[in-house]
This record gives sequence, structure tokens and C-alpha cells, in this order.
Amino acid sequence: MKRWRLWNWFWIVLSLVYFFLPLIATVHFSLRAKRGELSLLAYQQMIEDPRIFPALLFSTQVGILTILLGLGLIVPTVYWVRLKAPHLRPILEFLSLLPFVIPAVVLVFGLIRVYSRGALALTNTMAGTNFLLIAAYVIIGLPYLYRAVDAGMSAINVVTLTEAAQSLGAGWGTVLWRVIIPNLRSAMLGAAFLILAIVLGEFTVASFLVGLRAFGPVIWQVGQNRAYEASALVIFSFVITWILMGMIHFVGRRGAVEGGVAAGPR
Amino acid sequence: MQHRPSSSRRSSFWLSLVILGLIVAMLTACAAPGAPAPAATPPPSGADPLAELVAAAKAEGMLTTIALPHDWCNYGETIATFKAKYGLEVNELNPDAGSAEEIEAVKANKGSKGPQAPDVLDVGFGFGPQLVEEQIAMPYKVRTWDTIPDNVKHPDGFWYGDYYGVLGFQVATDFVENVPRKWSDLLKPEYKGKVALAGDPRLSNQAIQSVNAAALAMGGSLMDPTPGLEFFKKLNEVGNFVPVIAKAATIASGETPIVIRWDYLALTDRDTFAGNPNIEFVVPEDAPPLAGVYVQAISAYAPHPNAAKLWMEFLYSDEGQLIWLKGYCHPIRYNDLVARNAIPADIAAKLPPAEPYAKAVFPTLDELNTAREIVTKNWDAVVGADVK
Amino acid sequence: MSSKHVAAGATVSGSLYPRLSFLTISRTLVTWAGVVPFLVFAFLFLLLPSLYLFIGSLQDAKGQFTLANFRALFTPSILSAYVITIRISLATALMGGVIGFFLAYALVMGNVPPWVRSALMTFCGVASNFAGVPLAQAFIFTLGRVGLITVLFRELFGLDLYDIGFNLYSFWGLSVTYLYFQLPLMVLVITPAIEGMRREWREAAENLGASSTQYWRYVGLPILMPSLLGSMILLFGNAFGAYATALSLTGGLINLVTILIGSQIRGDVLRNPNLGYALAVGMVIVMAVMMTIYYVLRRRSEHWLRA
Repeated sequence: MKRWRLWNWFWIVLSLVYFFLPLIATVHFSLRAKRGELSLLAYQQMIEDPRIFPALLFSTQVGILTILLGLGLIVPTVYWVRLKAPHLRPILEFLSLLPFVIPAVVLVFGLIRVYSRGALALTNTMAGTNFLLIAAYVIIGLPYLYRAVDAGMSAINVVTLTEAAQSLGAGWGTVLWRVIIPNLRSAMLGAAFLILAIVLGEFTVASFLVGLRAFGPVIWQVGQNRAYEASALVIFSFVITWILMGMIHFVGRRGAVEGGVAAGPR
Repeated sequence: MQHRPSSSRRSSFWLSLVILGLIVAMLTACAAPGAPAPAATPPPSGADPLAELVAAAKAEGMLTTIALPHDWCNYGETIATFKAKYGLEVNELNPDAGSAEEIEAVKANKGSKGPQAPDVLDVGFGFGPQLVEEQIAMPYKVRTWDTIPDNVKHPDGFWYGDYYGVLGFQVATDFVENVPRKWSDLLKPEYKGKVALAGDPRLSNQAIQSVNAAALAMGGSLMDPTPGLEFFKKLNEVGNFVPVIAKAATIASGETPIVIRWDYLALTDRDTFAGNPNIEFVVPEDAPPLAGVYVQAISAYAPHPNAAKLWMEFLYSDEGQLIWLKGYCHPIRYNDLVARNAIPADIAAKLPPAEPYAKAVFPTLDELNTAREIVTKNWDAVVGADVK
Repeated sequence: MSSKHVAAGATVSGSLYPRLSFLTISRTLVTWAGVVPFLVFAFLFLLLPSLYLFIGSLQDAKGQFTLANFRALFTPSILSAYVITIRISLATALMGGVIGFFLAYALVMGNVPPWVRSALMTFCGVASNFAGVPLAQAFIFTLGRVGLITVLFRELFGLDLYDIGFNLYSFWGLSVTYLYFQLPLMVLVITPAIEGMRREWREAAENLGASSTQYWRYVGLPILMPSLLGSMILLFGNAFGAYATALSLTGGLINLVTILIGSQIRGDVLRNPNLGYALAVGMVIVMAVMMTIYYVLRRRSEHWLRA
């Protein structure tokens, strides 16, 4: 048992070293903005930029909506396919991997081509454009979203759980909402983290659809051709994303616990 | 395995509906109308020849630009001044777009009036003819049209040169003992692992021109870049070439202390770094400096055509040209400005010595296309694109 | 309650009279019904927008039908780009998959304090999307010629990593960099599957006298295999489509398909977007082949589970 614990900690420590060294090196570089001494100058210059906060707010909103739409779309679908239509799984898996090989720049110009004229002129309004951005992010996040949810479903016995709940008289909505979703907690959280990170960091699609309203393009615009500020921005957005994920984690856990309790006694 | 499919379909349908409704509600909340445009400032003099254009542009209210990084040619100041002067909103799309992406953006937005459709373009000289061929530019002649040299504009005003720079070495002197002065110097052992390009020669015009510029020093010509390819092959073989795409951070960290770059980018870096590290810009002595020209154009599908025209008038006014010059870009009307003594002394004092610029060579469209074809086709084979 | 009986009755009649073809048809329709919202969404926002990519790959610059773009895929430099891209994707999917699995297992089963686990899981969320210029620069600062670690080794041990054959700007250097997003992605997607494993299974196996190896050979791996394979194909795709990291770290000296596509459709250089589209369709085909291999492997592992 002792050797076994050592083995686990070996991988954790190794990963920590691997994960943190590049970040430490980036921090170290960002502190060199004043010649010959370490200073927070780069961070100060960055925080004073008025464009950063509104863009962060916008992208966080987009991220949350993307998470809701993405999970709302994928969780029932994967559930259904596992339960009723396993033969459709290859189609689903192939579609979910497709976004990897469609270059983002092709996707965004394609979206603009389809939705900028005629009856579906989404890009003519701000709300339509925002929706298009969210839809694009659901697509870009699809591979991660699908895989995370599918792995979560494979860990619980969907069929048995459903039958058990139904034999107790639960309807479909109740089964999904009160039985399946609470059991998918960590999978859905994982998917949410991945999507939030995509939305906060994405550049290409945002820069052609909404320009400098989104966080990714603003970070680029502020940091480009700046040495130390660019690194400070990297650290800043890394930490911000991490904090936001911590918040989702917190909220997601609590929600899941409450849901679980509610499902129990009834 | 008993299910009630219809009810499941209904519930997943309701779920989608609820989520969609939620999204629409939140979106409309996000999209609350922005602040109204600031009150228009009255034109300084009564008889402004642009008054009509200004009024029409103000009615449109907005200009959509693309591919204008704020540290490139001082575009940050250009945009800020334009906004303040005419009270228009400037919507900036992808600041990092390449010329090809700008053209794609115009084509994709054909027939669209949304804020994703760029009004104005700033593309490489070589893209000028394509704009005409594919009919995606709107002809316009600014008031200062006659002072733009004929060889860098389309006779009917579909596109017009805006600024140029020359290629040279941006050297971070803190990491390099002896500053290289010639192309041939770069092969010296003391520069092991120190020389980089600012782009991928298969993607970036700047990197292709770097190969061409090296060719001029190595016995090639504007039509024959092969000696330039051979030069980079040697540079790679002796271990001096670093394949990193140089950025401000890799220069400042010392990873790529020597970068082949446009003068305006190097000189802007020098000012931004302010001695941390020290930057010297070198125009190599063993070849005439190679100049690169960019061109402006108005999109044929511009949703704000008057704002676009006003933008051009502003860029090609003395004021607009001098803002570029402050960013070390030689504006296309530079000779006219010099002839009329229109360059203020403080701007002139900061410019690099004018002498090498007088010898600069400007490739023609033909030469550009031939060289580009050879470099992009043969880079892999000659220099070797096999990272092992 | 009554509705449940109705539901039960309907299915019973369906299975009792399979020859009633309209019932079978309606059952097929019903099985499709649940995936309709997703399919409609994927059609509207994935397939429809990328349609012009597929059409464009079959056209020349003037819009005429041609197969020239696909013929061009068989030139040596493009073929070698596919080979290198597949190689780096496979290598990083395998490395990221194995190490990521060990890490996730350690986090779930290793009695790690909950806050460490939460912090690392959320960290993985951020790191899995840390790519492009920032990632390339972070590694340049760490392992470049004047990077933190390189300098540290030189000053502490008088050892120049680059003299003993290390090079960040190489295939393996790039792979180590890719791992930074591959490994955390693996952790995130495999964790739910590991959580599904019961501690009791292992205890039961041990009580029955099974060794650790036997437990993994007969219980652990067979159960996890479908999820492991699924995660690895995700990692493969993740690396296969990567672009900006490789470009900024080894731009100009690495021949990846994504970089070739970029040079045709987004560069500053005169280009041939139709060839770029054909290159992308080629990637779709490679992806489909990988999917097929994945399915064969998964089938096998599922048989293994039943056997």
C-alpha cells in the first residue's frame, strides 16, 4: 500500500513541476519590465487599460451562455443515444470530432456567409451576432463537451438508473433532471471548465465576429508588440480563468448536492 | 426497457426551448444600446470642402476597420485622432488578420450590412490587382490623389499605396557583442542561435521579403530570390537560425536577439522597450535596402461607404500622413511633404538617417509575384522544413 | 401510473409483432427523435457553414469543377506534412493519455486532500486551453537557449542542455510543449470514468487473492478501455488540429498540414484557398480513418469485457 501511495504522489508532483515551471518562467519574465530590477510595472500598465474589464465581462457572459446551451444540447442527446439509439453513436462521435479539423477561420467565414443575408441575417443585430458567437463556441467546444459528458455517462449505469427511477413512477424530465444530471456532476463541471477556457481565450472567431468587444482580441491588442505586458496578460488571464472556474466548481457542487438531496427522499 | 418516447421528446424539446428563451433574454440584456455618439464638434472653418462628406459619414455613425494593430505604423493614434475629430465610432475587427484574411472577410460579407463587414482594407502591395480582378474594391480618389506616386496606385482609384518601410536587422544589443552590419555577417559563428525571422516564409510577406532582401546581397536579383534561399539554408546549417517566429517578448528575453524586420516595427520596439533591452536598427550595407509598400482600399460592399471615404481623406491628409511618420512608416506622400517643408522638426529629428532610404529599391508587382512564387514553393525543399 | 402501463404495453406489442412494419418504422423514427435538436444544431452551425469548404475543394480559382486540388495532395511535401502531423498527434496523444491517466487516477484514488484535487482539476481546465503564442513563449522562457531551466543548469552544473543534444525547436521539443494542453485534457475527460470504478472491486479482487497486475488485466483496464480509447482519439484530434503553437515555436521549419492550410487561406501571401480547402478535407478523411480504427479497437475491448 505504501508503494502504491508513493506511485500516486510521484505523478502528482511530477505534473505539478511540469505545469508550474513554464508559468514561473513567464511570471519571472513579466517582472523584468524595469531594467535591472524586478517590478510589477507590467501588471500596473495592464490593469490601467480601460478595455480589459468590459471585455472580460462580455466574454464571461458569453462563456456562461455557451456552457448552458452546450450542456442543454449535449446531455439529453448523449443520454438518449445511450438509452435508445446506440446505433447512432458513430454519427454523433464523428460530428463531435469534426470541429477539430475545420479551421476556425473557415468556420467563422462560413457562419458569416450563411447568416449575414437573406431571411437568416443574424449578423445585422447585436443580439443575433452574440448568438452566432455562442453557437460557434458550442461547435468549437463540441469535441470536449461530447467526450466529457459521454465519459460521465459511461461511469454511471444509465439504463439501470433510468429503469429504477421509472419503476418508481418518475417521468422523463424527472429522470434526467433529478437522477442523471446529479450523477453527472464531475463530467459536466469538466465540460464547463473546458468551454469557459475556450471562450475566454479564443481569438479568431471573436475577432471576426465581434472584434474588440471580446476578451481574446483585447488581450491580443493590448499585448501585441509589448514584451513584458504580454506575459503579464498571459498570467492575468490564466489566473482569472482559474478563479472563474473555481467559482463554477463551487456553484456546480452546491447545485449538485442540493439536487441530489431533493431527489433522495421523494 | 420501457420508455415513453413522445414524452421524452417533449421534455427535451421544452428544455431546448427554455434554454433558448433564456439565451435570447440574456442576449437582449447584453445588447442594450450603447452610449449615444458624442455631440458633433463643429468644423473649424466655414468653408470645409469635406463638409458634405463629414455629414454623410456622421449619418452612418461608424467605421469598421480590420487588421490594424495599434502599434503598427502608429495606427492607435490614427484611430484615436479620427474618432475625436469626426465623432465616429470605430469598430475594429481582427487586428492580427493577414491580407488574405482581409480579402476573405470582404468576400464573406458580401451583401451584409452588419458590423462584421469591413469598410476599409490595408493590404500588401501584391494584393492590389486581386482587389480589382475580384471586384471587391470601390474606387475613390482622395483630394491629395495627384501627390501619390503613379507607380503605387491604380489609375482608377481602386487601390493606392499608403506607406512603406525598408528591411533591416533589429538587434537587441544587450545580447549581442558586435552588431552585425552586413547580411554576410549573420553567418559568423558568434551569432549561433541568435538570428530569427518575424514570420513564416510560407505565410508572411515580411518573411518572404527578408529572403528577397538577402538575395540582393548574395548575388540574386528582385526576380531571382534563390541565392536568398541558399543563404537561409546556410544560416540554418551553421546553427545561427532560430525557427521561432520573433515577437517582442522573444527579442526582449534574448532568445531571438537579431530579427530581420521592417524598420517601423523595429523602431517602434526601440521606443516601447525604452532601453530594456537596448535596440539598434541596422540597414545592412552589402545590398540596397528593400522597400515594402502597403496599399489602402475601400471594400466594394462597405456598409459605411462615406465613413470609409472620410477615413481615406484623413489618412492622406498631411495630418494623417504625419501620424504614420511618427510611427516610423514612410507615408506615400513623403516626398511631397518634404518638398513643401511640411514635416515638423520634432518628427524629423526622430527619424533614422535619410541616406540609406534614398537608395531603397521598390519591387514592381511583377517582381513581387515572381519572387514570392519561388520563395513559397522552394522554402521547404531548400531550407528544409523537417524538424526532427 | 396509468401512463407507465401504456408505455409498457406499447413496447410489448412492438416486440411481439416485429413484422408489423409501420411499427418498426415508427420506432426507428422515434429513436431518431431524441437526437433531432442536436442534429439540427450541428447542421445549422457546423455543416452548413463548412459546406463551402467541401465545395471549394472541388473548384478552381474561377469556380470550375476540378480534381486538381486533391491531386495536389499527393505531392511529396504535402504527403510528408500529413505524416509529420499524424506522427506528432499520435505521439502526444499516447504520452498525454498515459501520463494523464496516471495523474487522474492518483487524484481520484490517491487520498489526495479535496482542495488539492479541486485546485488541480480546475487548473487542468485552464491549462487544457493554454496554447498558441502564450504557450510557445512560456516554453521559450523555460527551455529556450536563454530559458530559466537552461540557464539554471548552466550556472549550477556548468551543463549546456543544447550541447548535449536537447533542442526545444525540434519534434520532441514541440511534443513536450503540446503535452501542456494534452495532459490536462486527458485528466478532465478520464476522471469521470475513474470515479465510476468502485474501491470495493479492487478490495474484492485482493480478497480473492488477485495481484495488482491481475486486477488491472482482468478488471480495471477492460472496464476503462472504451473511455481510454475515446479520450485518446479526442487527444489525437486536439493535436491534429493545432496550429498556432507549432507556428510560433518552430515556424518556418516544421511542415504541418494546419500550417500549410494557413498559408493557403490566411497568410499575407498570394494563395490558393481551394487547395487549402482540399487539405482540410484530407484532414477530415484522416480523422474518419482514425475513428474507424478507434471503433475496431473499442469493439475488441468490449468483447474482452464480456469474455
